[in-house]
This record gives sequence, structure tokens and C-alpha cells, in this order.
Amino acid sequence: MTITFRDWLLWAALGGVLLACAQARAATAPEIIARTDQVRNPQQPFHSTVTLVEYVSGRERDQDTLTVFAKMDPGTHQFRNLVQYAAPRRDAGKRVLLGGGALWFYDPASKASVRISPAQQLVGQAAIGDVLTVNLAADYSAILLGTQAIEDATRTQRKCWHLQLKAADDLATYSRVEYWVEQGTYLPIKGEFYSDSGRLLKVAYYRNFSDVLGSTRPTQTVIIDAVDKSLATVATSTDYGYQDIPDTWFQRDYLPHLETR
Amino acid sequence: MRQGVGRALLLLALAWSGLAVAQEDANLALIPPDSQSPPKLRGSRSGQNIYLENALTAASLRDDLPVPAQPSYDWQERLLLDVRDAWEVGRTTRLVLSDRLNLRAESDLSFPGHENVVNDLREAYAEWRLAEQTYLALGRINLKSGSALGYNPTDYFKARTVSEPLSADPSVLREDRLGTVMLRLQHIWRGGSLTLAFAPRLRRQSPIYSNTELPSFDPALGRTNSDDRFLLRSTIDLSRDLSPEVLVYHDSHGTRVGANLSLTLGQSVVAYVEESVARRRDLIGEALDFGRATGALPAGAPDEPPAAPGKSLENELAVGASYTTASRITWNLEYHLNQAGFTSQDWNRWFATGTDPGTPPALANELWYTRAYAVDQQEQSTEQAAFVRADWTDAFGLNLELSGFVNVDLRDGSGQAQAEADYYLSNAWTLGLLAAGDFGSPRSDFGSLPTSYSVLVSVRRYF
Repeated sequence: MTITFRDWLLWAALGGVLLACAQARAATAPEIIARTDQVRNPQQPFHSTVTLVEYVSGRERDQDTLTVFAKMDPGTHQFRNLVQYAAPRRDAGKRVLLGGGALWFYDPASKASVRISPAQQLVGQAAIGDVLTVNLAADYSAILLGTQAIEDATRTQRKCWHLQLKAADDLATYSRVEYWVEQGTYLPIKGEFYSDSGRLLKVAYYRNFSDVLGSTRPTQTVIIDAVDKSLATVATSTDYGYQDIPDTWFQRDYLPHLETR
Repeated sequence: MRQGVGRALLLLALAWSGLAVAQEDANLALIPPDSQSPPKLRGSRSGQNIYLENALTAASLRDDLPVPAQPSYDWQERLLLDVRDAWEVGRTTRLVLSDRLNLRAESDLSFPGHENVVNDLREAYAEWRLAEQTYLALGRINLKSGSALGYNPTDYFKARTVSEPLSADPSVLREDRLGTVMLRLQHIWRGGSLTLAFAPRLRRQSPIYSNTELPSFDPALGRTNSDDRFLLRSTIDLSRDLSPEVLVYHDSHGTRVGANLSLTLGQSVVAYVEESVARRRDLIGEALDFGRATGALPAGAPDEPPAAPGKSLENELAVGASYTTASRITWNLEYHLNQAGFTSQDWNRWFATGTDPGTPPALANELWYTRAYAVDQQEQSTEQAAFVRADWTDAFGLNLELSGFVNVDLRDGSGQAQAEADYYLSNAWTLGLLAAGDFGSPRSDFGSLPTSYSVLVSVRRYF
């Protein structure tokens, strides 16, 4: 029996696919979501600056800048967030808190903290839940639908796990999420976000993967409005830094005291 | 044969792995082409907010009022400089200032005169961090409470604080109000917070100011600090998403006990309830007492409409929910109860006396005084009301915010409605258009008010 070079190629390809499949099957949906959470979010308390740029038919319309403080709650493994608007001037000083199981909005003009829902709009196509640092594993239950090669935001082919996430608690911004995570790197590549009624609301692409606080992470998210496709928002995170954040920062009565230095 | 088996295995493996051939993703074409580079950052973390606004209002007045009232302006022009800022001094001290300087002219004011200039010193205080998460503040502070949007029974420092608002929207009224000089101690811990506040009496209580007699550079302490007042407020996290707020307030009129509670229901709904209970006189009784004490009403003025005798346990309640739609419109629907407010009997008496040809003008003024008192106290004049508000940011995909509300007296169906549009020309410039009106029969709560409708045009420049 002779084995031709063509046979070698065929068997090598088969072996490669089986190996890839074995790797893919080895990871469970909860493991994949937990790992991609770690890729997206530094595990120590940190701050960052998020700039949101809105586009209408490809043209820039508006720009907002937020400072985000995030710290994981060891009890729930979910992040608590404190967000301060820095720009534009008309919104400067407004704050949003995700602490425990509630979202609070504070307006320095009225000195009032009011409870808001996750669906309430922050700016452009970004809901509050899109900007906050969240561990998906804590808010959604995931199942693995399979693997799929998809194009990322730069039209580069990526081999991904295709997951379906369903809201596990009321703090989840969306009822259902279709999520694609690159195999091996656990980088998030794409997400589709659905309402309670099953309507596709947004499509998000993750890009600009950079070394941030010790890991390669996406630093930019492109959010396409699936209802009005002329609308898009690009969220860019910069100025990351670890910061010691006391737990009391995530009490709603702390909102007026946030140090602005 | 072997090759055929190999190919079959390969295809089987591909099928098993679910590794589909990548399909064209049409949404990729929707990514803005010039969005790759991180944008230039603007703004600061200080929260400074300074703007200059010009607002021109035209109003239509009713000429068939069932109960004659003092005439109001039918046009008003205002130029206002609004400043809000905070400064960190050292590691433990913060200074806070909030002020608005108004230049105004209107049809019922002579020009020039000192009434053309009104300065509202809303807040000016220093705050010290005494220990980790323990704060002491001294100065004029706007201390706000309440979970509802249209009416806040537990907002105990709201009385007499609103100064010349441009909008009747309750969310704006909370912004255009004076703080109270107080000493406030607050401690925050991981599971809650405790606030103690003491606001001393600094001046005799001033009468209710009319639009034409506002002092120019007076801090108006006779409105905010005419009584010794105490507040204890605490929030406690009972569970992950349940953290009620409890309040105990005391002044020379008595003690009030209140609570706030809100809950998130799903991704789009927040439900809330706010309640305050006190043993007190009814609204008419308090108005007449206040009028006599400040000299606005003669000491021997009759009780008109008649007030309930003595004090009784009165309940104030606001219960409602907000709902955000998929198109990002947030709706608030609320029910408001003020047991101390005008009953049907009070309203009937108010109109019967007011429309009686034999009623002397002084008595008609007294009737209006009871209603002016409710407005001055920021208290709902009628017993039961319904409130609906909608807010749509980025309306129609534009830099446009649309908002509006309707407040309806459930006794007679009359109400107040307002619609507002703010167009953000740029990050610095905002154009505003506001239309407001009262509806109802002439013998109804809102239908009997002097102003029928008004329109306001404004331009605002942020610095």
C-alpha cells in the first residue's frame, strides 16, 4: 500500500479538523462565556474612559465621553459600575450607578437619584447596559449552538463558537443574545441583541484588540441599530488604569460624593 | 476507494463540527467607514456646568375667569446665567456652588427696576470627609428625596424653594429650586446609608412672593430657613435589588414619616412607591394659618373655604412605573394622593363663594391665596391626580429630545399639559420650544387658572 502526498494532505486536514472540533467541543458554553468575560474585563477594580460617537448614514453626529469605574462583587461575580458623564457640557456631572441589583441615575442639577431600567437609553444606540462593564456569565445562561467561521469588523475570517444567551435576571439588558467568540483566544467578535418579543435590536462588532492591563482585549465596539440601519454608535475605551475602589462607592447615596479629581 | 472514504470522513467531520462556510454579513457594510481611529476626547471629570440662556415666553390669558384673579404677564423675556461647579480643596474638602442670575422683563413689570434682576443662590456649601465615607456638610444645600417623578411626598425640603421656573415639568422644578441652609452629616456603608440634617431658623417666615415683588439679591432665607427642621434618612439594602429609604422629618408643625421603594421588573420597567404620613391640618387650614401669620390675610379673616377643624392623620402617596419602549421612549405613569388636599366639597365651596356676586374682592383674594399657598409649598392642591410623562431622546434619529407630560385632577378631569422639544445644534448650542396649557371647564381645578396656554422659545449656550 502506498500513501500518496495527496492522501497525506487529506488525512492531515482531517486530523486538523478533528483536533479543532475536539478543542471546540471541550469547552462548555458557561466556560466560554466565563473566559470571554475575563478577556473583555480586567479582573481587578479599574477605571476607563469611554467615548461614544454616534453616526447617521456614516456621518458623525454626536460625541459623548464617560468615565467608568468598575469593580467585581466577589459574592455575585458581577461588576458594579459607577459612570460619570464628562462631555458634552450639558450632561457633565450626570452619573449612573449599577450597584447590587439596581441601576440608579443621578442628575446634579436636581440632586435626585432615580432608579432606571436596563433598557433606558444612555446615548445614541448604546443602552446603559452596553457601556457598563458586565460579566455576561452572571446575567445570562448560555448554550453552545456550534462553531462557525464569521468575518469580524475588519472582514477577517475568525473561527468562532456560536452561543445563545438568555437573560437569567432582570439586570440583563437584553432578553436574548447571539454571541460569537473566537476559538482559542476567547475574543468576542460579534453579538446580536434581541428584545423580549424576539425583535433584533442591535448588532455589535468588537474590534481594535489591544494589550490593555496585561491582556489582549477589544477596545472598540461598533453598535449597529438593527431597526434603523442608518444609525450606528462606536464605543471606544481608553485610559485604562487599576484603581482601589471602596465598596461604598456603589451605594446610591455616594453618587453626589464621587471624587472628580 | 480509500480516497473516497477519506473525503467522506472529512465532510462528516466538517458537518459534525458545524464549521459552516462563512457567509456574507450584510451588517458589516453598515460600519461607518471613518470610525476606526479613536476619537479625540473632550470634557472633564469635574462636572462643571455653565450656560447662558435666553427665553421668550408668550402667554394667553383667560378673560372669563369664574373667580377673578390678579392679572399675570402675557409676555416675558429672560436672560439667565446658570452656574454649577464643585472644587476639591485639599484631600478632604469640597466646595459646591449652584447659582442662577436672571435678567427679566415682562408685561407686568416696569423697566428698568430692581425687579428686573433676580439672583437665585441655589447652593453654596462646604463638605468635609471626616472619615472613610463619613461626610459633614455646612451651607445652603439642596437635599432631595423621593422616588416618584410627578409628585414627591417625601421631599420634605421642597416647600417654598421653587423660584421663577421656565417649565412646569416636575423634573425641571427640582432643578430650579433653592437649597436650605443646614448642617448635614452622612455616613455610607456597604449595605446602606444614614443622613442626619438640621436646618435652623434664621429668619422670620416671609410672605408668598408674587411674580412682581421678588427680591433681587436676597438669599430668601425667610422662605427656606424660617423654622428649625430635622431630618433623619436611611437606606438599607434588604436584598440585592431591594433597598427602601425611610425618612423621619420634624418641624414646628409636627413629625412626618415617609418611605420610598422602587423595583426593577424585567429589562424595561421600574415600579416605585413613595408615601408620607403626618398628623397635620388640611391644606386649607395650613394656608389660612400661614396667611394670617405672615400678614397676607387679616387676623380676623374668615375661614374660606372652611378648613377641617384640628389635625388629623393625613396620607400622601405617589405610586407609579416607568416603561422604556424598544424605540427608546420612556413613559412614566403615576397616581398621586394628597389626603390633606381640596376635597370635592372644598372645590364646590371654593367656586360657589368665588362666583357669588356678593363676595367681596378681599374674600376672592383669600380663595386664591389657598391655591397660591399649595403652589408655594409644592404640594398637590387636589386630593387625587394622575400623571403621565414621556421622554424621547434622539427622537427620529436626530439630536432632538422630545418630552411632555399631562397632570390630571381625577375629580373633575381638568389638567395641565406640556410638550417640549430641545434640539442640540452642537455640544454647545441648544434650541428649545415649549408649549404648555391648562384644560378643563371654567369651574374646574385647572380650567379656572388665569393662564390658558403659553409658548416659550429659548436658546442656550454651554461653556
